[in-house]
Amino acid sequence: MFPYQEASWSVVDGAMFIGWGTSLPGWATAISAIICAVVLVIGHMSEAEKAKKFD
Amino acid sequence: MEEQLALLATQIAELEAMKGVTNTMFAETFYYLTIPLMIIIHAGFLAYEMGASRVKNVLSSGVKNILAFAFMVPTFYFFGWWVYWGFPTGLPGAPGPAGISGVEYANAIAWGWGEAAQYMGPNIADQASGVFFGAFALFAATTASIMSGAVIERIQTVGFVILAIVLGSFAWVVAAAWGWHADGWLVTKFGVHDFGAAGLVHAVAGFFALGVLINLGPRIGKFNADGSANVIAGHNMPLTVTGLMLIIVGFWGFLMACVIVPGESWSWFADKPATIYGTPITLSALSFNILMAVAGGIIGSWILTKDPFWMMSGALAGIISTASGLDIYFPGLTFIIAFVAGLILKPIADWIERRGIDDAVGAVSVHGVIGLFGVVMLGVFGSGFPALQGAAGEAPTINLTGQIIGAVVFFLLGFVPGYVVSYILNMFGMLRVPRGAELAGMDTVKVPLQGYPEGIPRSPAAASH
Repeated sequence: MFPYQEASWSVVDGAMFIGWGTSLPGWATAISAIICAVVLVIGHMSEAEKAKKFD
Repeated sequence: MEEQLALLATQIAELEAMKGVTNTMFAETFYYLTIPLMIIIHAGFLAYEMGASRVKNVLSSGVKNILAFAFMVPTFYFFGWWVYWGFPTGLPGAPGPAGISGVEYANAIAWGWGEAAQYMGPNIADQASGVFFGAFALFAATTASIMSGAVIERIQTVGFVILAIVLGSFAWVVAAAWGWHADGWLVTKFGVHDFGAAGLVHAVAGFFALGVLINLGPRIGKFNADGSANVIAGHNMPLTVTGLMLIIVGFWGFLMACVIVPGESWSWFADKPATIYGTPITLSALSFNILMAVAGGIIGSWILTKDPFWMMSGALAGIISTASGLDIYFPGLTFIIAFVAGLILKPIADWIERRGIDDAVGAVSVHGVIGLFGVVMLGVFGSGFPALQGAAGEAPTINLTGQIIGAVVFFLLGFVPGYVVSYILNMFGMLRVPRGAELAGMDTVKVPLQGYPEGIPRSPAAASH
């Protein structure tokens, strides 16, 4: 698998990113999605708490 | 002699290869440049919304707008791009006649994992997917920004972001799949033609905003007990008007991104540009018509309003009202349609306001109603023109009934999800900020900064006069 078997770009004719051919892209995408969801949850809790002080 | 011929053949082959490289680089650069141009739309919306907010809300309006952009990009990456390619033929996502749609196709090219990931990241052999994705992601972010201005000064940040995601990474994407794709059922069955996305971007976003506004309610102080409306002036009209002008600048990139360049394996033609439907278009056509649309919209709105805010909104309305047919309108006709759009813009906004809807920037009127007006106008003037590339007699043609059907579908794709999702968010207390927070000002509640910590003082020189 590139680049471990042959460290040359001459053997690459398609995907050229780190993790291609492994499960890394899937995990990275999933973790990115989880980060977005968690940020929304935390953001809502924090804003709701601040807003309560003015209610 | 034979040696010379062989040499000549080699040189021709080299030249052809170089021509191919040049064309590919041009195509990639063309779409790449649409992306920063469309980001100017967001600079414009940011300035526009912040200027339209009162001082106590100015930064929170900015935060909301920036977050919409930030969440739109990854969510469009996670699933929006997949929806676009998966469902042009509707449910259950069967492949269409052009062979570039359906769930199976989308699974192969539009997920950020498995084999499909090769098209969703750096790829030495793919100079198209990333720039196409980028242009579409910016269309998505534009829809969210359209809704964003309407709901300023009282919406919760996270509730707004959720709505933005539903609109930008789902609702308009479905509209684009159905009406802005060679396999889209609105195109193949009804001849819907919406070159510059008047319906599938602007009307969807405008009516999504209307659905949200019904559940969100007006700002405190907007309406009197007898139902009459008060003007809630933004704190900086020059900033708002400049923002609107920036949106116009960005529109050149938006509409440029609606053109399919020639000479690539995914192009419609080897030698000429096309619309997304494979029908002819030139950048000259866009230049003629966009400029005339901007002028017509400004002049039309000036007559009734004399107000720079509505004049620049008229410029937007001018483009939106003609966007469906910018590829085939004659500039004089473009001017007339845009003039009418500019003329009716403010009365429509007033009519909506009299129904108790507090649309802070007129988004429902500018984008929603004028967007549908533009879709229908193409049915009036463009009937009989091919809606999609195809053999004579086989290609669907533009027709008034088809454009009206398209307009109804775009209205529903905007209004229904906007109303339903905001209704659910309201049930869970995630839509509107508490009354006390709204009165105190959203910046006080949400932002650890002040927009104008020193106020907006007169300069010493001015004060001495």
